[in-house]
Amino acid sequence: MSSTFDQVATIIAETCDIPRDTITPDSHAIDDLGIDSLDFLDIAFAIDKQFGIKLPLEKWTQEVNDGKATTEQYFVLKNLCARIDELVAAKGAGA
Amino acid sequence: MQLEYFHMIDRIVDLKVDEKTIVVEALVPKESTVFEGHFPGYPLMPGVLLIESMAQASGFLLLGVLKFERMPILAAVKEAKVRGSVFPGELMTLEASLSHEGSGYAMTEAKIRVGGKLRANSALTFTLIPFPNADMRGYMTKVAERVGFPQQAVSP
Repeated sequence: MSSTFDQVATIIAETCDIPRDTITPDSHAIDDLGIDSLDFLDIAFAIDKQFGIKLPLEKWTQEVNDGKATTEQYFVLKNLCARIDELVAAKGAGA
Repeated sequence: MQLEYFHMIDRIVDLKVDEKTIVVEALVPKESTVFEGHFPGYPLMPGVLLIESMAQASGFLLLGVLKFERMPILAAVKEAKVRGSVFPGELMTLEASLSHEGSGYAMTEAKIRVGGKLRANSALTFTLIPFPNADMRGYMTKVAERVGFPQQAVSP
């Protein structure tokens, strides 16, 4: 079974037509990969479907806007994948 | 339907919030300035207005699902097919279903039928924003009343 990062990188590559080998765990989805908010909705949709979760994009955006979090915490891919793993684990614990 | 005011939907026929589906009707007017240019001697509904109609049907569905707490704004047309023309005087029946509800966004699939025959379909993405001001909230409430939006779904 491929890692969370591999799955997310594949989603990003296919959704945004970005070469897969340019996507690394340290890539920032916005600053490095140039993904805009509308494209990120497609990525969020694919992640939601693939992992059976609901990425809390509104909460994250609000935290960034309020200065309570940085975009790096959510949009650097290794951090994004850690959040996904947390959501998957929380879903499993609640099932 | 009042094309010039973008009032595309006339009546909500069936809104099932639990099943996340809606059916609405829209009667294309026999005359409109739109048809004077699109096209002289062969008036037909512009494809973009068919997409707008499907977006508005989806919008009413989302307003119901979200209990009027968020305003859906069309963000992306993922796929749209106009399978047959829609002409002045025809009654369109539009169906929409919620295919995915994310955090701050939603995706729908919508269809337009005339006389039971599929004329157009699309997959649409919406961002879901707080109502920006009381005027818009009030306006949308009036629009909802005009089309027979179920009152229990209008109340927050």
